Amino acid sequence: MRLILTTILCSSIFLLAGAATTLAEGDYPEDIYYMKPVIGVVFSHQLHVEDNGMDCDSCHDGIFEMEARLAENEESFTMAGLADGEFCGACHDGDTAYDANTRCTTCHVGVIGYSRAHGLVNEEGPAHH
Amino acid sequence: MKNLKNLDKMTNEGVDNCSVEERRHFLKMGLTVTGVFAGGTILSAVSSVNKVYASTSGFVEKYPYKPHYSMIMHIENCIDCEKCKSACAETNGVPSYGFRTNILERQVAGALDQQREFIPVLCNHCNLAQCTRVCPTKATYKDPNNGIVMMNIEKCIGCLSCQLGCPYNARYFNEEKWAVDKCTFCWESRLSKGAKTTGCSEACPAGVRIFGDLSNPSDRVYKEVHQMTKTVWVLRPQAGTKPNVFYTRG
Ligand code: HEC
Ligand code: HEC
Ligand code: HEC
Repeated sequence: MRLILTTILCSSIFLLAGAATTLAEGDYPEDIYYMKPVIGVVFSHQLHVEDNGMDCDSCHDGIFEMEARLAENEESFTMAGLADGEFCGACHDGDTAYDANTRCTTCHVGVIGYSRAHGLVNEEGPAHH
Repeated sequence: MKNLKNLDKMTNEGVDNCSVEERRHFLKMGLTVTGVFAGGTILSAVSSVNKVYASTSGFVEKYPYKPHYSMIMHIENCIDCEKCKSACAETNGVPSYGFRTNILERQVAGALDQQREFIPVLCNHCNLAQCTRVCPTKATYKDPNNGIVMMNIEKCIGCLSCQLGCPYNARYFNEEKWAVDKCTFCWESRLSKGAKTTGCSEACPAGVRIFGDLSNPSDRVYKEVHQMTKTVWVLRPQAGTKPNVFYTRG
């Protein structure tokens, strides 16, 4: 965990030093929506990389592959797994970042959020009208 | 869907804005504060459902039904995965255009921790149900034993009066049955066959929907409604229908 934290700190300093412009738009993928085990967990590269200044290695050196939704195939891609420090839980442990066991709807945008992001809803709400 | 929109906008500011003194005052009167609505103007205490939902166990006999089926929603855990909706549809044959339960989304303005909140809704099986009152053919009625609001589809003429009368938007017209359809706490599909809980409650992976007997002091629902430390509220208390679906956080 300390290692990750250091990586994050270093990268933010790096970014502060003026290198932020090297991350042009499109350098990282669009938001990823997980569908399993439950629908509607969102992961944003923009939020983590751009807004929080993490570098690619803080996740792509052992925690996540560079392939969207690969993690869904892993049995420990659950809240219990996260609590054991797997995947998002490597940071979302209440130490490096807020605990995955709190603030549920920051990650979980649900069927409604998924539908909205994919243009499947009208103003009234999700598709049951 | 006018009902749905209004419900969406409703805010409960919780009991944080309610002083300890005020709460004690209410407790002395045998009431449970259920939250502060609309800029602190109204303390929605259990006063509105006084005789039925008193806060002390001495009032248990006053529950009109046995068992008195009820649900309490731990909404902070709702992630809108809609496993409840799928389970409900499967269990009760709900078509894709209809719903017996729904999830509403509310944007929480100015909140630092969470910007959205999901609110599961279903029939509140109100003690003073308006739907049953306005139904011209008695196709919808309260079960005299357990208080569940039922449908007799043979009698339904599809006039939709019940839909208009419902403050919770809990009914839809089922084209296959050619009758209004609604949540029955899974009476036909489960409870009458001995199951102890509803399909939605069983399917919820986040422990949001707790189903039980509001008249039984050893039941979890009873315990969670009859306590003073956490806010418990109902949707649209001003409708005065004495709903049996409660909401809480934490
Ligand atoms: C905070 C963690 C995190 C950081 C930092 C991060 N990524 Fe990712 N990345 C992920 C996750 C999670 C996935 C999806 C993996 C999965 O679903 O199994 C992913 C997937 C990807 C993918 C595949 C996307 C697709 O659509 O298939 C690419 C490409 C990628 N990342 C590039 C980058 C680059 C470039 C950076 C640095 C600028 C970066 N990532 C930084 C977490 C991160
Ligand atoms: C390498 C560490 C790391 C990993 C792995 C990681 N995050 Fe984060 N995440 C952070 C940090 C740091 C923040 C910003 C600090 C904070 O909010 O506590 C953050 C913030 C967030 C936020 C913003 C919350 C808000 O304030 O609105 C969301 C949502 C989020 N992460 C989701 C995820 C999800 C989903 C995953 C897994 C797919 C994940 N994160 C994996 C480090 C990480
Ligand atoms: C940091 C991001 C994050 C937060 C915060 C978060 N989750 Fe999750 N959750 C995930 C991810 C990632 C998965 C696995 C992917 C999926 O199911 O789409 C998941 C899956 C789940 C699942 C299905 C798998 C299982 O463990 O049963 C449930 C239920 C769940 N979350 C509930 C919650 C609840 C309740 C909260 C709040 C107390 C919460 N989550 C907060 C990221 C998060």
